[in-house]
Formats: sequence, C-alpha cells, structure tokens
Amino acid sequence: MKNVIEVKNLTKEYKGVKAVDNLTFTVKNGEILGLLGPNGSGKTTTINSILSILKYNQGSIKIMGEEMTPDNSKLKSQIGVVFQDVAVFDELNVIDNVDYFCGLYIKDKKIRKEYVLDALKLVGLENYKKYYPKQLSGGLLRRLNIACGIAHKPKIIFFDEPTVAVDPQSRNNILEGIQKLRESGATIIYTTHYMEEVEILCDRIIILDKGVILASGTSEELKELANIDEKITVEGIEVKTTLLDKIKANKNVDEVHMQMNALIVTYKKGKNNLVDLMDLLKQTKVKYASIYSEKPTLNDVFLSLTGKELRD
Amino acid sequence: MLFKTFWKVVSKYKGTIILYTVMLICFGGINMAANNNTMGFSDVKPPIAIVNEDDSVIANNLVNYLKDKSTIKDIDNNYLDDALFYRDISYIIYIPSEYGKSVFTENPKTIEVKSSGDYKSTLASNILLAYLKVQDVYKDDYRGDELIDKINSNLDKSANIKIKSKLDTTSVSNASNYYSFASYSIIAVILFIICLVMCSFNEKNVRRRTIISSINLSSYNMSLLGASLLYGFVVFVLFNILALVLVGDIMFSLRGLVYVINSFVFTIVTICLSLLLSTLVKNKNAISGIVNVVALGSAFLCGAFVPASMLPNSVLKFAHILPAYYYINTNDLLKSIEEINYVNLEPIFKNMFILVLFILLFIILNNIISRLLRKRNS
Repeated sequence: MKNVIEVKNLTKEYKGVKAVDNLTFTVKNGEILGLLGPNGSGKTTTINSILSILKYNQGSIKIMGEEMTPDNSKLKSQIGVVFQDVAVFDELNVIDNVDYFCGLYIKDKKIRKEYVLDALKLVGLENYKKYYPKQLSGGLLRRLNIACGIAHKPKIIFFDEPTVAVDPQSRNNILEGIQKLRESGATIIYTTHYMEEVEILCDRIIILDKGVILASGTSEELKELANIDEKITVEGIEVKTTLLDKIKANKNVDEVHMQMNALIVTYKKGKNNLVDLMDLLKQTKVKYASIYSEKPTLNDVFLSLTGKELRD
Repeated sequence: MLFKTFWKVVSKYKGTIILYTVMLICFGGINMAANNNTMGFSDVKPPIAIVNEDDSVIANNLVNYLKDKSTIKDIDNNYLDDALFYRDISYIIYIPSEYGKSVFTENPKTIEVKSSGDYKSTLASNILLAYLKVQDVYKDDYRGDELIDKINSNLDKSANIKIKSKLDTTSVSNASNYYSFASYSIIAVILFIICLVMCSFNEKNVRRRTIISSINLSSYNMSLLGASLLYGFVVFVLFNILALVLVGDIMFSLRGLVYVINSFVFTIVTICLSLLLSTLVKNKNAISGIVNVVALGSAFLCGAFVPASMLPNSVLKFAHILPAYYYINTNDLLKSIEEINYVNLEPIFKNMFILVLFILLFIILNNIISRLLRKRNS
C-alpha cells in the first residue's frame, strides 16, 4: 500500500523539553493507525505538527507526497480533524454547526447539504438537527464534534482522543462510525490512551512514551513483545508453598505471583495451560472461587517496555 | 458562508440589540421632553401682601405699582407669617408710617420685607427694587405729582426684544441630546455584539479547526472584518432613522448632516475598539462586564447622561482620553453654533480628526497584539 503520510525525524521542543523526539513513521493508504500512549506522551503534539498548527524544530512531514505547510490549502482540503476538545458554536444548532465547518471546505450549497446530512447520519444525530449544543449530552456533543470534522468527506482523518469522558453507548457509536469511514476509503490516525479501542480499531499501532516511539506493529506483533502468551488468574484461592513450587515446575510458566486474593500465573507459550492448571488444583485439593484465562494486552506490552502501566 | 454564520450568531443576541435600542428611544425621548420644558418662559405675578402704614402719595403710588406687577393678597396682619410659611404668599412688604416724607430726608425710613425664599419671592424683590431705584434717581430733583409722573412714566417704558436667530434651538438641542445619549447605545450595542460574536469565532478550538481547514485565512479574516463593519453600519443606520423620527426636520439640514457624519465616525471608532477588545478578551462572561465599564464609564464621564457643562473639571480632563468625549463635544458645539460654515466647524473638524486618530490607534494596537498572540501560540 502507498504511504499517505511520511514523518521523518520529527522533533518538537517546548522551552528546551522535547515533547516529540526524532519521530519517524508512515501511514499507509486506507489503514487505521493508532497512536497509543499515556497523557503527555506526545500524541497531540505529533498530530499538531503534522497539521502545521505547531512549528516543529526538526524533521520533515509529507502528506500524499507533498510537504505539509500552513498555506497548503490543497492538502488541507483532503484532511479532517476531530479534536479532543469540542469545537462548535454555542449559538448555532446542530445542522448549522456542521454546515459551517463543512462550508470551510465545500462551497457548493447543494453538495454541502448532502454531505452535512451524510455526516449527521454517520454519527447518529439525524434526530437532533435543530438542537443547540447546550441541549445535547456529553456523548451527543462529541458526536457533533466528529460530524463537524468529517462532513467534507476528507481522505485523511485525525481523531485526537475522541472518546475521552464519553458514555459507553456514544463510544460504541463513535467507534462504529470510524470503522464506516475506513470502509469508505479514508485513512485514519487515531490517538488514545484506551488500549481496548486501539485493539478493536487499528490495523497498526505506535506506542509512544515521552515523545519517543517504544514499539510499532499490529496488535499481535506488539503482544509478542510482552514475552507472554497467556495469563491465568485464580481468584479466592488458599495458596500453599508446595502448590507454588508445583506450578513453577511447569517449564512454560514465566511468572507466578499473588495479587490481592488472586493467584496470577503467566505463561511464555504452551497449549492447554488452563486445563493443566485446573487438573493440578484438583489433584492437590486446593479450593478456589473462580479461574479464567486471558491473552496478553497492550497494557502488558507497555508494562514490559517501560516498567509502568499505561493507565498510570 | 462566513457572513451568513456571522449574522446567525448576531441574531442569537437580538434581544440585547432591542434592549439598547428601546433604551435609546425611552431615555433619548425623556431627555428631549426635559429639554422642551426648560426652553419656555411665562411671566408670573408673584403673590405678595402689603402692610402700608403710610398714606402719602409716594407710598400709595408704590402700592399701585405693586398691584399692577404682582398679585396682592388680602390677609389679616396677624396671619401674614402663617400665609408666608404655607406659601400662600411669597413676599410681605412693610411700608412704615411717614415713609413718604422720609424719602426726601438724609435718613429715609426703610421698607422692611419678609421672603419665602422661593423664585417668586426673588421676582417680587426685583419688582420692588426696580421701583425704589427709579424713585431714588428722581427724588432729588422732583417733588409731589411731578415726581410720581416721572417714576410712572419711567417704569411704564418697555423694550420689545426680538430674537433674530433663525436657529430652532429646541430642535437643535433635542438633536444634540439624542445623539449624545446615543453614544451609550452605540458603544453598548456594537461593542457587546461584536465582542460576543468574535469571541465565538475566535474560541480556541473553533479557531484551530478553522486554521487547519483549506479556507484562505486572510480572506476569512477580511470576511469577519467586513461582517463587523456591516453590522456597525446597520446599527448606525438604525439609530439615525430613529433620530429622523424623534428629532425631525433638522436632520435634513446641513447641521443634521454634521450630526450624521459625527455619529458615523464614532461608529467606526467603536467598531475598531470592539475588534481590539475581541482580540484581547476570550471569555464571553467577561465581555458583559467590560462593555458595562466602557459604555457606562464613557457615558458618565463624557457627558452623555449629564451635560458636560455640569461635570467637574477633573472629570472632563480625564474624559479627554476617551473617544466619546470628542463625539459628545461635537454634539454640544452643534447646539451653540449659529451658522454652519467652515470657521464655525473648525473645532468640530478637530474633534473628528481626533476620532480618526483613535481609529488608527485601535487598528495598530490590534495588529500588534494579534501578531504577539500568534507568535506565542506557535
């Protein structure tokens, strides 16, 4: 696939502190790229630099093969942005807000009207056309924010943490909308600190911390970096030292530790680990309340790379 | 598109525009009504009482004179003080016995008076003094009936005064009062609305979304400026139509044209000030407070509500730093100028020139501040 965005050696400093440090990555046509990292990891700075909102200190940014500059209106017309903070007019109703922001790109009234209705349909605001922003809930307001950002049908869309503080119903609606946009051919750059969203949505993920790329790849590729294959949690268990020794004797086991009242066993590899562990507990007559198995998450990846949790 | 959105946002604040326009009609109207009352004059005969203890020709002639010039009340001597207290009469004149004889001596007897202290008593005092002054002039050279004839013929003389000025002082005064009060409404309506609307367009996130769009930012800013100017022009036209309705024919004269030009220049000053403040202030809640301080402060300090002639010098000195002072000063000057010609208009041109300097000052400041803010944000 052709590269739509090429970022090379991007560095941005704020008063001597590097917010983004020598960042290099590409975004392929039609993919959803996730920028994952905790607050302050440089996600928004990277997006603002790509969009030429910020002047960066070093590096180059090319979009569709062209250098991105503040006055490159041809490139800008291909880009849509949904910022973390809602950017709408309080004095305009839903349809007028979307119409205004679409009008910054599309001059033809007839086409614009059609685009506006499409955008409202995509985010599920068809029944709120005449509502004013103050009359909308937080989730609906976020959906309006998205409609304003994507109404002109851009080829590249940046989503900067669009689901922060959003109710589950609206979050699902937003994520479904983003998938529909991808299906319609848009390339999407999605920043978030919610790893679940990245796993659901993104084709490729870049993990950022302190302005540096820690790892990149597909969700599966990244999980391999965590160096674990499976995590089994046994809750409500009375643990004896002999039991722990028996579990550790399994060569597939990476680590065994207690967390609160739960026993957590991580495996490097192996099959039927859950059945084997349940058999062992039965043989040793150890009682427990529940047992379940999990695949490693991106949080585990982040933990193994930085020594801290993504949520910290 | 931008124009349409600008006016849609403006329409959300139509209540505010109507409020300030109604205020202009009401208070401007009250100002003019007050003005009409003070322009009229009617001759009043003050109610007085006379206690005459002298039966001389001199004393009787004085009483006859007073009967002609005032309203003599017949009140019992015992109740004169009560009548004065309750303002049934405003003045009591006591003519002592032997007054007529004593007039020709070196030590004439004194006519005692009692006064209520109101304006009618002042009028009565003037009438009495006028008589006594004439009597004083003739008493050394004339006696008896001859003296009385001289006094009466002198006091009967009257002069006809005709005001040759073609100036309709009432209309001019009305127009000046209306336009001076309008300074408050112009500042409030333009400053408040432009600041609020620009605040919406300049809201951090909306602005950011606009910057990253494909629209040409220069044309975007020019459109906003154009829309603001158009809005200011609409307010200017509206307030001048109101002037036409409230003040009348004078608006079709050369003097009326000067009022219109003055209000036009002041409108431009206010628009420039609004744009400067909208660059500085990003908080909609703060705008209301700022508008009140600027609009009410200018109105009070520069003489929109209280005539400038009644304001202390220190206040007027301070008002020189405010554009409204020069606008209101022009309105006041137009009230007193007899004929509209270049020489008479010179101080008005000077005021307008200062207003133009304010326009330039606000534009330059706005540019400097915008550049500094842009630099800081990048």
